[in-house]
Parts: sequence; structure tokens; C-alpha cells
Amino acid sequence: EQTLQGQNADKFLCAGDAALYLFNSGAQQLFEVKAFHEEYHSWFIGQAVQHDGRLLFATPVDPLFLVLLYLLKAEKEQGKFQALDQVVVDSEFSACKILLQCARVVQSIHHVTEEKEIGSKVYYKYSHDKTLMWLKKKVNQTVKVLKSNDVCVGGRVQSATFISSKQSTTVTEEDYIRYAHGLISEYIPEELSAELSKYLHLGLVRASNFITLPLQKRKLSEAPLEADEDYSKFNSSDMKNKKTNRKMSAAQKALAKVDKSGMKNISSFFTSKAKATK
Amino acid sequence: MAGDGSAGPGPGPGPGLVRLDLGSLRGASRAPVHLLPCVVEHDGSAAVDRYFTPAIRPQGGRSEKAVSFRGRSLQGQEVPVPQGYVGLVLKEDAQPCLEEEEERTVRVKSVFTELTAWNLEQAPSGDDGILMAMSWPKISEGLHAPVPEEEP
Repeated sequence: EQTLQGQNADKFLCAGDAALYLFNSGAQQLFEVKAFHEEYHSWFIGQAVQHDGRLLFATPVDPLFLVLLYLLKAEKEQGKFQALDQVVVDSEFSACKILLQCARVVQSIHHVTEEKEIGSKVYYKYSHDKTLMWLKKKVNQTVKVLKSNDVCVGGRVQSATFISSKQSTTVTEEDYIRYAHGLISEYIPEELSAELSKYLHLGLVRASNFITLPLQKRKLSEAPLEADEDYSKFNSSDMKNKKTNRKMSAAQKALAKVDKSGMKNISSFFTSKAKATK
Repeated sequence: MAGDGSAGPGPGPGPGLVRLDLGSLRGASRAPVHLLPCVVEHDGSAAVDRYFTPAIRPQGGRSEKAVSFRGRSLQGQEVPVPQGYVGLVLKEDAQPCLEEEEERTVRVKSVFTELTAWNLEQAPSGDDGILMAMSWPKISEGLHAPVPEEEP
């Protein structure tokens, strides 16, 4: 039994250990499922008690992030123009083809590829420059949302004044960009994340901040990187995924790197993203 | 919303696919949900309406509540689910012995449009994880909305 919040969608897609996705009928839209999970919580649901205190969120995800992983793999392995159905292949995970049914993939693929039309067929090849431009636009629109929702992007995210004090005056545009970059980096390989950081002219993290802010320092030392992500628990027991093949293809490994759980604790999104730009 | 339970076009069910039967949404009842600040090592029926619900008292704030639970005073806050979303309680169909390739199905058991989050000492406020988590759908929109197309 699970509590889940979601928009219209009717298909889960569990990619082994890598991630949990949800397609609506006809696969026009792809959703990702993330767990909100704090320790020591359980539910009362109607006249029943539920030991598992997680709340799952199913939110729309840009399928281009996933296609991008396959494009990167194809670029590395073949490095030539190919039809999309040759790019999005996964011997370990044939259901990846569902991605090609997402209308948005066809509409937006030009943001990350060079295209060649031969006869009536279109062939695609990963474009690094275009991808960086596309990711920068993603960062920009994320910054807008962060600002309009008063999300605390400074170091003291978990201060007791999350709502009332809003942002302290020291929050800079760069803090927003850095935070947005951290969020985007959950969906792209590390290497690309590093290059995007350069492209955005994000300098190294101002190290002094971490030493001088006691709160930050404490958080960094007490909370190892993935302390609050409980993918092990989720994937092994709850989704009863034990039978799925643990061997992952390259793209799945890339996916796994992007978001090991697919169901990462949402609260991790509200912790400092500085780690992502180290 | 389709959710007719039939397989969509394209690739058939593969390993790891789970179907959420949205047809079950039609008959689903509303059930109040409470997020408790403790672990209850049990799954199953509980006399919530007999012992818990009658003890809930309104507090100062409009959506704030208090209750006594096993001798502890809990402070609660009604939290609406994010706009455009609906809360679903899902349950997987009994699966005696699944074959590798078999598709699993989960059904909607009940729905909710708000939940009550309970804390031990202070009523949940903005820096409580559950309230922050409710802004995730909005933030995720920024990440996943299509980027504007260039002018031709």
C-alpha cells in the first residue's frame, strides 16, 4: 500500500535499480516518482495503520533528459548520424522504446542534436554546443521558478525561518544559478554537469562560506552526501524488485548515476546544492 | 483519463513494469490520512475513528489541530495536496508467485485532497520537510517544462 500524489498517469516503469518512472496511457507524458521520506513516520489511512511513512510524488519529467543519455552513449560508441530508434536501444531494458512515443521527444530533440534529412528519414547526432545552450535555458527557467516560489537557495536552507524570513539579502543571482544547476545535475551525467558549470561561469564554490557558516559546516560533516537517500530500502523491499535484473546497460548506469534511486528523498532537494559544483 | 486497464500501444509489458489501474479511481472512496511522527510497527486495521479522531481538537490557527496519542500530545497541521494533484492510496493486487515477465497491477484504494501532518512538540511549519516537499511539483516544473522555442 502506498500513498502517492500524481497527475493522470497509469503506468509505472521501473528500470531495475535505476529509477521509477510513470507513463500515462499512450505514453504521451512521462512522470518521475520521488519519495518524501523522513525517519520515524507512519500513516493512518482511514481505519488502518500503514507502517511505511513515505509519500510518493509523481511529477512530469522532460523525456529529453532520458533521450539525452542514450544520445551521449551513441555519440561515444558510434559517433554518427542515426535514426532515433537506433539510438534509443537498450538490450537490458527494451521498454526504453516507450520514450520514442512521447510527443515531446520529437518536438524538442533538435535542442540537443544536429539533424540530417535523407529521403524521408531524419537522422540525429548529439550536439554538445546545442545541449549546453538547452541546459542553460533549463537553468534559467528553473531560477525563475525558484525565485517566484521563494525557495531558499542560500546555505541555510533548513533554518527555522524557511518561510518567514524568505531570503536573506546576501543571496545572489549566482546562488540561484548554482542551486538550479544542482537540480539539473540530477538528470545529466557528471561530466556534462561539470561542463555546464563552466558554461554558466560558475566559479568554484566559495570555500570560505563553508568554513565560516557554522550551520553549513555542521550539515556537511554530519550528513554525508547520500545519508538521506534510502534507495536501498525502497528498491529492495517495497517495490519487490528483487527479481529484476541487476545488470545494467550503459545508459541505465548513466541513469543510475543521475538518480540512483529514482525515488530519492525529496528533502535532499532542499539541502545545499554546493556539493554538486565542487 | 483513459485508465481502461488495457495495454497501450507499443512495447508490451516488460520486466519491471507495473500498471496503475485508473479504472479503480472511479469507485475509490475518500479516506482521511494522518502522517504520524512515530513508527507504528504494524500494517492493518486500526480503530482510528474510535480512539484517534474524536480526540482531535482545533487549535489557534485555522488549519492547526492537537490530539493526544498514547499519552503524548501531538500538534498537527492540515496540508492540502499541491494544486493540480490528487492524493492516491495504492494497493498492489495479491501476487501469489510472479513470473519474471508478468505485469503487476496496483489499484487505487482511496483518495485524499489533504493530509494532516503531526509533530510531537510544535505544529509543522514551513521548515518541516513535508511542507517543503509540497513545493517540489512547482520546482520540478521549472526543470521539466519545455524550453521556449527560438524565433525562426
